[in-house]
Amino acid sequence: MNPVVMQLTVRGLLGRRRSLLLVILPALLLGLAALTRWGSHAAPGASASLTGNFAMGTLLPLMCLLIGTGVIGPEIDDGSIVYLLNKPVPRRSILLAKLAVALATTLVFAVLPIAAGAAIAGDEGFKLTAAYGLAALLAGIAYTTIFVALSVLSRNAVIVGLLYALLWEGVLGGYVPGVKDVSVRQWALAPAEHLLDAADAAGWGVTSAVSMSVGVTLLVVVTLGAGWLAIGKLKTLRLAAAE
Amino acid sequence: MSSQPIVPAVPAQPAQPAADVIHDIGFRHYEGERFGRGWVVRSLLVDTLRGVFGLGRPARAKVMPWILVGILLAPPLVVALVAVLTGASKLPISYTQYLTQLQLPIALFVAGAAPYAVSRDLRYGVMPLYLSRPMIRTDYVWARYGGVAIAVFLVTAGPQTLLLIGALLAKMPVGDQIAGWLGGLLASVLLAVLLATIGLVIAAFTPRRGLGVAAIITTLLVVSGISLALSGIAQTQGSHTWAVLAGVLDPNRLVDGMAAKLLGVDPAIAEFAPTTGGEVAVYALAYVVLVAGAGALLLRRYRKAGRL
Amino acid sequence: MSAIVLDKVSRWYGNVVAVNDVTMTIGPGITGLLGPNGAGKSTLISMMGGFLAPSAGTVALDGGHVWKNPEIYRKVGLVPEAEAMYDMVTGAQFLLANARLHGLGDPGAAARRALEQVDMVEPSDRAIATYSKGMKQRIKMATALVHDPAVLLLDEPFNGMDPRQRLHLMDLLRRLAAEGRTVLFSSHILEEVEQIADHIEVLVAGRHAASGDYRRIRRLMTERPHQYTIASSDDRRLGAALVAEGAADGVTLTNGTLAVQTSDFGRFVHALPRLARDAGVRLLDVSPADESLESVFAYLVAR
Repeated sequence: MNPVVMQLTVRGLLGRRRSLLLVILPALLLGLAALTRWGSHAAPGASASLTGNFAMGTLLPLMCLLIGTGVIGPEIDDGSIVYLLNKPVPRRSILLAKLAVALATTLVFAVLPIAAGAAIAGDEGFKLTAAYGLAALLAGIAYTTIFVALSVLSRNAVIVGLLYALLWEGVLGGYVPGVKDVSVRQWALAPAEHLLDAADAAGWGVTSAVSMSVGVTLLVVVTLGAGWLAIGKLKTLRLAAAE
Repeated sequence: MSSQPIVPAVPAQPAQPAADVIHDIGFRHYEGERFGRGWVVRSLLVDTLRGVFGLGRPARAKVMPWILVGILLAPPLVVALVAVLTGASKLPISYTQYLTQLQLPIALFVAGAAPYAVSRDLRYGVMPLYLSRPMIRTDYVWARYGGVAIAVFLVTAGPQTLLLIGALLAKMPVGDQIAGWLGGLLASVLLAVLLATIGLVIAAFTPRRGLGVAAIITTLLVVSGISLALSGIAQTQGSHTWAVLAGVLDPNRLVDGMAAKLLGVDPAIAEFAPTTGGEVAVYALAYVVLVAGAGALLLRRYRKAGRL
Repeated sequence: MSAIVLDKVSRWYGNVVAVNDVTMTIGPGITGLLGPNGAGKSTLISMMGGFLAPSAGTVALDGGHVWKNPEIYRKVGLVPEAEAMYDMVTGAQFLLANARLHGLGDPGAAARRALEQVDMVEPSDRAIATYSKGMKQRIKMATALVHDPAVLLLDEPFNGMDPRQRLHLMDLLRRLAAEGRTVLFSSHILEEVEQIADHIEVLVAGRHAASGDYRRIRRLMTERPHQYTIASSDDRRLGAALVAEGAADGVTLTNGTLAVQTSDFGRFVHALPRLARDAGVRLLDVSPADESLESVFAYLVAR
């Protein structure tokens, strides 16, 4: 992991319009959480609804998409990544450095606000916060790594990522059985479900279509696989031809 | 540098019986008809419309719009079949409710269409090329806007028409169905106008590749979620009016609310739909303000766009 | 002293062959890679720089492979083609980052020295987004020089430069080459290559067309048979005189024109007016067959 690459990536991420969204979205979530608390008198049910549907289902994948594509996508697109590639630095280090920045950003701007939102909106002794915090952490890591890999592998990463995160996991997940088994969100919810007792889990919607071992295994496999693919592609990355 | 060899100059043949003449094969003047601004705007609009659906573009560009069109047409097909087979007398979902049900694919469609229409030209700085034609700044914006809005309308009206066909085949009362369908089309128009404006404004301010798509879909989904959450909160606090008014934040609820009251059809989210005249008036006002405001912002964005 | 050795290097994309069986050695001094647009110069430089794998053949730098080997960048400085840079940092910060990425011992000093070499010290504390195109080009050069590389690869470096910048860059390249570095630059303009290259490699349609000292190749090019089309008042007589004199290798009489082939351009040009006058023939039209660079290259390829 290369500190210079990390610094440049951080500068790049924060210096663009993208960063506005990264700040506005969690702020909106926290605002909503506060309103929810006021409105439903801190009932965990309402908090679970807000966190499970809006935060986990909409906000988290979208933010991971923005972050994951933002750490490497624009540089590949305009060709300025050549300044990183024409150095005696292993491509693996370059990718891991960017991935580290992306994961840290996801943690700070997505995972923590989601957990905080759950706590603010209403909880029973931090049980809901812990459960959704864990789910958000695991899903965030997986989503971010997948989207970073997508950015290296395809120039249309955003569209592919959106179709996956929203259509596949969102819409189709509701209609087509079996899709839920291949869903990062479901995998991440499995360990979270384990944290709560059955009644709470069911009542708060922290349920998963897969078992914990399956979920965790698939998360690890997919995350590591995406990282490995990204490194491999970066080693042979073809820059936009001049002639 | 041309890769064609220069044709060697062949000297004039001395023993020609015909008159000596030098053929002007240089710069060709065009003395024919020149179409005016209207034609230019219309062509750009048609070109945008075609391009949104990937026609005249590489195969890669056809994937997303047509996947979404497929997703939008599948349910009406199923509903129509079911209606015909079971001989129902009423459609399970109304023409206007359908728009809210499929707001996600519609939003994705807009998120893909708007950046195609405006972001690319801004990103590559080709606005001066457009503006050095008989077309002024606002013409360009209107043409692009028209293309996207019509595309969104087609994508929403198509499924509604499919529903109508199904209903007619199932021998449901014709008058009712046609009335419902027309109402649905009106709602489609309102929705298309609003979504196109919002989408284009966002796309015009995010020319970076991919960012426009992400920004538009994020915005549409987030405001939808916030709107619903606020309505829920207001409801539990006992203020029904605020629960209804929170709907103006979400384009879908805005249009659906207005359509439901004006056309007398069932709204998609019955508990938060506007019922009093005052509420509908607020909705209508919000609609106008949104479209006009976003439109003005869009035009303003292009004020300096022609700078070389 | 470093050398890049290409051995039977080819690169194809499906059915299109971009580089076709090229074997060459790039040694110390300035080498100009010359060829028309689309000849494969950028592809070749990409392969030399380790950014593209050859479909066949090997590219070696001082005996080591360049593909998938980031270590070569300690010795190689590549001036990228890309317009874009990290806009939000200043020139000095960007150079410093580049120096640090190279793992240099004193990155600050190296960055400063590179800035001095390209004459960009003053504007170096403004953001790169505020630079003009020429300034960005100079920063690009600086990033390739910051680690004092033994090999410098430049892809069309004079593209879009104004005359003053051109002179400055040519000066810089001459100085670098005089220090024993291996400098390779590509261009499709003969004059640019002529002014600084000691040695040129000519690439035409992906094939290695010529190599060697520039002056000798130039002579080779002037020794190729020239074609002229002449219209005169008495073609036959003129043609006979030209052949008898030895100023033409061959003449062809076609309907109304005289096509002349000559390999001694100078002799022909001097002889023609004299012979015409002596034979009492009036010259109506004298025009050369195409003189474009492409025909020159085509000739070189055909040889």
